[in-house]
Formats: sequence, C-alpha cells, structure tokens
Amino acid sequence: MSARCPSAPDDLLLRDLVCGLSTPRRAPTVSVGVLGSPDHTPQPPAHCLRVCLGADPQAVASRGCQFLATAARHEIDRTQLQDGRCPQGFAVTARPTRLGGAGAVFVSVEGEIADGTAQKQGHAADESNLLGHVDTAARLVQRVGEILEENSGFADEVLQNYEQLNLIFDLTQQIAQVTDARAIEKLLLQRVARLLGSAAVTLASADGGCRVFGGADGRGDGVAPDLPLTDLRPVESLIDEIRRTRQVRVHEAGGRQIIAGPLVRLDEKVDVVFADRAPGHGAFSSGDMMLVESMLAFGGQIITNTELHERLRRMSLEVTHAMVAAIDKKDHYTSGHSQRGGFLTRLTAQELGVPLAEQQTMEWAGLLHDIGKIGIPEEILCKPGKLTHEEFEVIKQHPRMGYEILKPIASLGVVLDGVLYHHEYPDGSGYPEGLKGDQIPLVARIVHVVDTFDALTSTRAYRQAFHVERALEIIRDEKGVRIDAEVADAFFRAFERYRREEPGDFAARFPAFIQSEKAHAKP
Amino acid sequence: MSRVLVVEDDPHILRLISMWLKRQGHDVREARNGLAARELLNAEPTDVLVTDVNMPGWDGLALIEAALPMGQVQRGIVVLTNRWDHGEIRDRLAQWHVHVLPKPFSPARLSELVESLTTAGAGDSPGSVVASAPRPEEGV
Repeated sequence: MSARCPSAPDDLLLRDLVCGLSTPRRAPTVSVGVLGSPDHTPQPPAHCLRVCLGADPQAVASRGCQFLATAARHEIDRTQLQDGRCPQGFAVTARPTRLGGAGAVFVSVEGEIADGTAQKQGHAADESNLLGHVDTAARLVQRVGEILEENSGFADEVLQNYEQLNLIFDLTQQIAQVTDARAIEKLLLQRVARLLGSAAVTLASADGGCRVFGGADGRGDGVAPDLPLTDLRPVESLIDEIRRTRQVRVHEAGGRQIIAGPLVRLDEKVDVVFADRAPGHGAFSSGDMMLVESMLAFGGQIITNTELHERLRRMSLEVTHAMVAAIDKKDHYTSGHSQRGGFLTRLTAQELGVPLAEQQTMEWAGLLHDIGKIGIPEEILCKPGKLTHEEFEVIKQHPRMGYEILKPIASLGVVLDGVLYHHEYPDGSGYPEGLKGDQIPLVARIVHVVDTFDALTSTRAYRQAFHVERALEIIRDEKGVRIDAEVADAFFRAFERYRREEPGDFAARFPAFIQSEKAHAKP
Repeated sequence: MSRVLVVEDDPHILRLISMWLKRQGHDVREARNGLAARELLNAEPTDVLVTDVNMPGWDGLALIEAALPMGQVQRGIVVLTNRWDHGEIRDRLAQWHVHVLPKPFSPARLSELVESLTTAGAGDSPGSVVASAPRPEEGV
C-alpha cells in the first residue's frame, strides 16, 4: 500500500476544493477532488480522494462510505464503520469544520479493492501514514472553508461599499444640477433611505411639522412609513437630544430600531432625520451611523449654501428696489419710471440677443439709472416750466452723481456704465463725457432709448404726456442723431410684440398708456 | 438561471462580479481579457456578456464588435466603464443595444440588468431596438 499511497499535491487539492466549495453558503455540498491526476474523471482512477461536507459527521461519514463503495464497485457494511475507520482498506476521518458541519476525507486505493480482498501487508505503518495524509487533507479542507467564509464576508462588504459609493457618486452628480434647497433636500433624503434600506425617512423640521421621503425610486414620497413617524410625540425627547448634541443616535421603539441624525440648515436650525428598518433587515451598524452622519453633514452644508445664496439674491433685489423707491419719492412725477425703465431695458436687451446673465445686469441699470437725482435739489428737479441754463447744468450732474453713489458696490460693474452714460447721444452732443456712437456702452444706449420713451409718455412738472404713437414717432425721427438706430429698432420690435402678445400684462404695467390711448381715440 | 460571461482584467473585481452573479443563481464563466473571452464564446455562446472596456490586448469594444455579429451573445450586453469615459463610451456604443454601467457599479443594478435581459421578450436580441425606455445611466 505504501507504494501507491497518495502523496497529496497541495495546489491541486486546493484548487479542486475551491471549485467545489465556492458557494459555501449552500452547505452541505459534496465535491470530488482527484489526487495524482490533472483532470476530473467520473470514474476514479487508482488513487482517489473525496471530500464531503455536511452538518452531521455520521451522515458525512456514511456518504463517504457510499462513495467508496461505488468507486470500488464494492458494497461496504456501514456498521463496520468504527472509530473513523473503514475496515476494508479505506481510511476515513471526519472532523468538524467551521462551515457548520463536518468535513470528511476518504481515500481509496482502488487496486486493492478490485480483487475483493483487502491486502493487509505492511498495514500498520501504511495505515498510519495514510491517515496522516487524511488528517492533513481534512485540516486543509477546514482551512479552505474558513478562508472561503472570510472571503464571502469581505465580498459582502465590498459589494455593499460599491452600492453605497455608487449612490453617493450619483447623489453628488445630481445635486450639482439642482439649485433649489427643497429639491436638494428631497434628493438627499431619498438617497439616505435607499442607502439604509429603509422604506422611507422622515424629517422633523425645526419650524414644526414633518416631511416624508420615499426610498427606492422615490416611491412612498409623502406617504407615512410603517412606523408612523408623522406622530413625533413619542420621539420628542430624542429630537431634543439630537438638536442639542447634533449626533447620530440609534433608538429602540416598540421592538424596532430608529436611526436619527441632525440636518443643520441656515441660521443653525436643526432638522432631525429619522429612518427605520423593517424587521428582519438586521440592526443598524456603526457603519450606518457613520454614513448617516457624513451624508447629513454634506447635504446640510449644500442646503445651507443654497439657502444662503437664495437669501443674498433676494436681499440684493430688495435693496435695489428700496433704492429705486427712494428716487421715486424724491420726484413723484417720475413715479414708476424706474420700474418701467428696468422692464423695458430687459425687453430690449432680450430682443438684441444679449445673454441671459447680462440681461439681468442691464435690467438693474434700467432700474437704477436715475438714482443720481437724489442729489439734485428738489426745487430744480420738480420745477414747473422751463429750466434756466444754470439749472439745467445742475440736472446734468445726475448721471455722475448716480455713478458716485453706486461705485462702492463692486458687483454692479456694467450697471455703472448704464448709469453714467445714459444721457450720451450717438452724435456726441450728450453728457457727461460727450461720447459718440460705439464709444457709448450698449447698456447705456439701451437705457437711453427706454428712458427717452418713458419720459415722453409721462406727464412732467412742465408738460403733459405725449401719446405712445407720438413718442415712438419722435424717437424714430431722432434715430442716428440722438438715438442709437439699432437699439431703437430693437426697442420698437420688442415693444410692439409685447403690447400685442401680452395685452393683460401690458395693461397692468402701463395703465397710463391705456388711458392716453383712450383719450387719443376720442374725437 | 442564465449563462453569463464576465470579462474583466482586474482579478479581484472579476472574482467579485462572478461571485455576486453566481449567488443570484447564474451560470458564470470568467475571462481576463477580450481574447480569452472570444475563445470561450467560440466554444459556447453566452446569454449575457458583462465586460469591462479598458483591458490589455483585446479590449471590451473589440470583443463586442467581434462577438455581436456572430450571434455569440444571445440576450444582452452590460458594459462596465469608469466614470470619466462614461459619456464617450456610451456614444461609441450607441449603435448597439447595450447597457452601460459606470464603476463603481451598483451590484443591485447589475443583477437587475442581467435578470431583465434574460427574462425579456424573445425579440430583444442585442442590436435590436428595445421598447423599454433606458434609464439615464444606461446606454441606448
């Protein structure tokens, strides 16, 4: 027996074991490894080895015996199986493994079985030699099982990380395209729900009330999850604690776990986000807590910035309108002039194909162009009748004064051009610098046309308003002289289209025009 | 259960994908590059091909170009790309009906795709026009 006793080539053995055991979760499984032969063959060659795995050592041993019997075409009396040894020349050993069962290794030497008699020569030494191999093999089986189990655990972790990383990549990509704080909040909390495997998450707002966000594909948005967190009374103390500590907590309630964390928004307001997990989905781990903490911190930062941006934008608009209101207070004849100036400037800029961001700047120039009038004495500004030469020289100061007032606001840029140059004329006869043609910035040329039109159609201290058609006519006559021709044409087109296509808006914005038209229509 | 051929040059990712798909009950074969995959396909076609793009030697695109006209991929193709090449690869593959997943891919999304490819109607062979609208992260 010693001559044919298999000496296990470990690599081959391992490879074969791995093939058979690569799905260890489905144990018990049975696999075959063949020693001394490079390929699998259904009929075992002279030396064969079989590895069985199973929950019950007896069953494993018994299955091993069956295999040996089949391999050897020889019936084995299972009652003869004692002490891990098969009597008829077979060596059998069964060991417990960490796979939750026993592993057994059986070795047969076919040549000795085939003739039906177990050769016993030199037995004692050979058998212990054989058993030594079997022991080694069994230990290898066990170790391989352990490694596979560890691998499977690692794989689970990596797969889960992939899933999370993917969701986070997606989230950052999508958030970059959203500029509305509520939309970002929705996106963020849907992703948190998906990452945690929760049906939905609930947000308890610092302003009272709560909002619910669905998990996968946003299903369940606005629908209360199984755990009715829309009733916040049972978790009030938890909410208070999170507002105070700003830390993520896992909380047990009615046999279910809730994970809760802070979403810090503008002005240090703390919303509290809750998620629960259906029974059978396992407890929240420290990994989940870290995930919630970092996602809420990241999301809260973005939401805060967005809200801050929105607040600043609104505030600058409000400040602009406050300044405009100050001009109109000073000279009540021009009431509404600035508002109309802003609107018509934008309309004309649009018609000229000015990019959207610049249209906004130009609208501001239209709104603020007369702010310098704040510095002009009221008796001159509101004087009924003709101005003296000296008085007119004072009035001519207003573009420069407006420029000086606004200059400290660095972000106004182009707006300053509009304010300073809105009384420059293409023929160079304007003020304050006497610029000509293309020297005059576009924004100033637009504001000038709009300003002229609005001045003509408004009643002033010294004269009645002209009718709209008459005002347009006057401007047309001045084209190329005191009015920029290209801008004037764009203004005519934009104004006519606006009046035709949006009569409702027009009537609301320019009530005086409607009245003057009615008056004009009368014989 | 369907036959899936996974082609990926990084052995760890290859092992991971194949382990994941085996767990979903698929019959998985592995190849480390396009040429090895081609040999496996010559021996036996596959239902679904899951392939990386950037591989030494024959890359994923060359594999697709060679295997598709031969009918060696019978149900569908999932291409894994890195995020930087994602848009470009998707454009290059626009002529075929393939699904493109950016790495790190979502395992759930991958198994969902493989599942949907193998259970879809018989008419949906790769290269044909498919009625269902693709999700944004996928190809055409």
